[in-house]
Amino acid sequence: MRHLLNPMRWIFGDHRPTRQVALISTLLTVVCLIWIYPFLWMISTSLKSNAEIFANPGLIPRGFAIENYQRAWTEAHMGSYFVNTLLVTVGSVIIVTLCTSTLGYVLGRFKFPGRNVIFFGFVATVFIPQGFTIIPVFELLTWLGLSSNLYGLTLATSGHAMVIFVILFAGYFSQLPKELEEAARVDGVSFLQTFWYVMLPLARPMVVTVVIMQVLHSWNDFLLPLVVTLANPAIRTLSVGLYAFKGEQFIDWTGMAAAATISVIPVVVLFILLQRYFINGLSGAVKG
Amino acid sequence: MVKATTRGLSRRSFVMGTTAGLAAAALGGAASAQSVPMVNKITSGSTFRWIDSGDQKAVFYNKLFPQFAKERDISVVYDALPWKEIAQVVPLGVRNGTAHDVFALPQNVNPADAVAQGWVQPYDDFIPNIAEWKAGFPDGAFLPGINEFGGKTYGLPFTSNKRYGTHLLFNRAYMEAAGYDPETTPLNWTDFRDAARKITEAGQGRYYGFIIGGSQLGRWAQTVRNMGRMAGASAGGDSVIEADIDFRTGDFVFDSDQYVAAIELLIAMQADGSMFPGIMSMNAPQARAFMPQGAAGMILQGPWNIPGWEGNHPDFDFGVASGPVPDEGPVGKLTIGQGAAAPNTMWLFSGSQNGAIAGEIFHYLGTVQGQTDWANIVGAGDPPIFAEAIQRADMSGRAKAVLNMFNDQIRVGPNPVVGNGDLAKVIGAFQAPEINFARTVQGLVAGELKGVASEMKALKDRYNSALDAAFAAAKADGAAVDRSDLVFSNWNPDVDFGASDYS
Amino acid sequence: MRLLQTFHKLRYHYLMLLPGLVLGGMFVFYPIFAALFYALHDWSGFNSDLVFVGLGNFVALFHDPIFWDAFKRSMIFLLGTVPLQMGLSLVLAVLLNNQLLKLSSFFRTMVFLPVVTPVAVMGIVWTFLLSPFNGPINGILLDLGMISRPIDFLGKSENVMGSVILVYVWKWLGLTMIYWLAALQTVPDEVYDAARLDNCRGARLIRHVVLPIILPFALAILLISAVGALNVFPLIMSMTNGGPFFASEVMEIFIYRTAFATGDGSIPRLGYAAAAGVLFGGVVLALTIVQALASRASKGKVEGATT
Repeated sequence: MRHLLNPMRWIFGDHRPTRQVALISTLLTVVCLIWIYPFLWMISTSLKSNAEIFANPGLIPRGFAIENYQRAWTEAHMGSYFVNTLLVTVGSVIIVTLCTSTLGYVLGRFKFPGRNVIFFGFVATVFIPQGFTIIPVFELLTWLGLSSNLYGLTLATSGHAMVIFVILFAGYFSQLPKELEEAARVDGVSFLQTFWYVMLPLARPMVVTVVIMQVLHSWNDFLLPLVVTLANPAIRTLSVGLYAFKGEQFIDWTGMAAAATISVIPVVVLFILLQRYFINGLSGAVKG
Repeated sequence: MVKATTRGLSRRSFVMGTTAGLAAAALGGAASAQSVPMVNKITSGSTFRWIDSGDQKAVFYNKLFPQFAKERDISVVYDALPWKEIAQVVPLGVRNGTAHDVFALPQNVNPADAVAQGWVQPYDDFIPNIAEWKAGFPDGAFLPGINEFGGKTYGLPFTSNKRYGTHLLFNRAYMEAAGYDPETTPLNWTDFRDAARKITEAGQGRYYGFIIGGSQLGRWAQTVRNMGRMAGASAGGDSVIEADIDFRTGDFVFDSDQYVAAIELLIAMQADGSMFPGIMSMNAPQARAFMPQGAAGMILQGPWNIPGWEGNHPDFDFGVASGPVPDEGPVGKLTIGQGAAAPNTMWLFSGSQNGAIAGEIFHYLGTVQGQTDWANIVGAGDPPIFAEAIQRADMSGRAKAVLNMFNDQIRVGPNPVVGNGDLAKVIGAFQAPEINFARTVQGLVAGELKGVASEMKALKDRYNSALDAAFAAAKADGAAVDRSDLVFSNWNPDVDFGASDYS
Repeated sequence: MRLLQTFHKLRYHYLMLLPGLVLGGMFVFYPIFAALFYALHDWSGFNSDLVFVGLGNFVALFHDPIFWDAFKRSMIFLLGTVPLQMGLSLVLAVLLNNQLLKLSSFFRTMVFLPVVTPVAVMGIVWTFLLSPFNGPINGILLDLGMISRPIDFLGKSENVMGSVILVYVWKWLGLTMIYWLAALQTVPDEVYDAARLDNCRGARLIRHVVLPIILPFALAILLISAVGALNVFPLIMSMTNGGPFFASEVMEIFIYRTAFATGDGSIPRLGYAAAAGVLFGGVVLALTIVQALASRASKGKVEGATT
């Protein structure tokens, strides 16, 4: 009976399923080819020689110009930008997960003086665009002496996206049964231990969601790293590095394509390997 | 630890290997002469940082600094960034104390302001016998209010300002097919438009007549300004406020017949379909890159292209010639406000502990040997300020031709700040209108704005109110200034304006 | 006294709030108040000359057509992307939420791919794809005979917003699709069973059974998508820099340009930029509140209908 119950019926009525499936598969294949064409083009260009760009508009390169990658990695510093991006991403994931899970736990499960002020304070700021606060954030980092190093960038990257995570954690924790803490308290486990050993493991799906969303946020972020790295090109991230690359004195199309591929491949591989977690994690954002 | 790194993310640094190889082959022993004389006591192990706008300069420093670092046992970090980023990197660096030891000033920061705000320090103490060393420079290199303040020396004026960034560079094969020879007879405006159309027709979509980096706003302003000046709209100076002012009257010339006609010419070429597709979302480097690819026939650009193209595209047959000249009447001169190129003037950060290191590099760049080494590599792009170095240097035919042309076409004009130092405060307070000259031209050519004459009149009004506001602000700040300080009735644009002409 | 006792009893709770509050205080709350403070001053950011101008910046903004144009463009962008993104992704999600489709997870992966890639990087790749000179998109359209002359997608003001909107939808469609899939998967099979027994299918099934269940999700997705569509700085900056002639200058580019980017004799105006941010943030916040109230009202209605 199961095949009768799928939502495609809404559209196609009672045709024979195989025909529908074939039709839709073909359609989706075309859509997917269009969808990933930019990636195919990027990879193809990164393997072409500089003389080939105009002479050979097709997707299949004539050879494998690996030297494009060598240039991008060493001379365009994509290697060090890669490390910077990785450090910022790992650092901000740790900070964000710790700060927002604790905050979300207390806000989501307990009533205490000041709770509503804090909670609704966060909720009210969800919609404020990044551009709005970038100037004071930069000033604050300058004041702290962190305006042009990786610590400052990591800290600000963590702070910028945290609001939504706090709300997600609060929502998730509030749905867990009350008895859990009761049991822990009877067993003589302290408050902090209860959180760390009982509650946080239970919130694993939400932790995964937050980790993945923060990885995406940090790897994709542009305005903040652009501003923070203005005074110190050595700490640029991949996005900013490639942007600066574009604005330089000469244009190296194939080198740029190689640099773009370098900055795209890691997240794509990570995504394909951990696909299940990505999908489930992101689904958590609307379900939770 | 010996380390020298470059962070220019460009084709320029990418092709460094090949260029350096070619240069070394061409110059023979010249490269090995790049040894900086020891004049100061330098602590080994220091890290010395230098930032400028790169391009061909980067080729020079990438050869100089590694060897220098090795000899002095220090690290040298060289950053080459576009002006747009220098405008952000340097002020932010100064504010949080992490600026490079030596930097180029952003183009919107006036030297007098930089000194007043404490961004930079004098380097007199870091060069032994500085008076003798300065005497080696040509007259007009060091000027009070420009690079000397309160009797101290702040800026290093080591390259010449006699150059302009909108002369013609063209693909010889395409131009020949179109029936023109600009190297013998400069193109006039009508020829320029006609050549662009003919090249485009011949290209049949594979190449186009004219290309410009249209998203880089400054290109539009410079192109119109220089075409207007050569057609006789005599405006002078290079700073933001006076570049489009006729010093004989003190008035802006935005609505002059020449400026309006120059914009209308560009609009007509756009309507002809002679302009490269997509120029409005293309910056100058992108546009320049299309030339050696054979995708465009003409560009109005600067001499810095010459060494780059000769080095990286030896098969590209290109010519260099004057920017478009008027159809009838004499060709006007272009005006510069000072002998040394302001963008290349280098400054020592006030927070730098490495004055001794900077002093050695500065000293070397102000010697005949340093200037010749510079000219050998940088060539016509940023010509050395010592005339002797140009004679001694080994430069290509195109480079020598373009430098001769500059000598013929460029004159030094009045510099209001030399006349009245307080004008620096006006320049500091000047806030250009949001829709400025460059944006207006871009908007007109892109078809976003209609009516050249009326838009340029409105632009003039906007600049006048902005300038009046700047004067008012400067006066409120205690400056003894007046708009008549911008009038030099004895100025003749065809001859150099000397020190005696100021009185 | 009671309050002090409460604080003491809950001291670990408060302790645990601390790290998150410090981080939030630094990067969420402080910047909002600081922006309000800067907005009342004239300040270049170069030096310490902070001049109090009261509401002067706001008055100037009200009379600045470039500000309002940028504001309008942000709204156009929001209205252009969100419905398109939500509609297309719902169709895709419905198609992919089908166990018969063997390649379902493969398709899902492909459509999701752009989401994980750095947006500024893909913006640059798209400028090459859309180039009117030898750009592959124009090449394909020319080969298919759909156009006779290359289209200047990013260099003409009439094309540029549409182009960035499409690229934006390409970039984020996969994410919205995942949200829809999550929503659809909460509809239990039994619901379809029951509906079938009632001989309810097609449009009626969607309207009376599926829609009420996924509507609350739709509001969450709408909210997330709208927040996203206001953060378009990296895409537009890397594709057009706000040009040609302001044609793609949305609010964030306006703020960045007035606050940081300089050229041709303009002085950075941090106070003015902050005021623009405050004004824009204020309007957005107001819109959010209106939307939240509307969503609460409709949610109540849906719940009423299903119970």
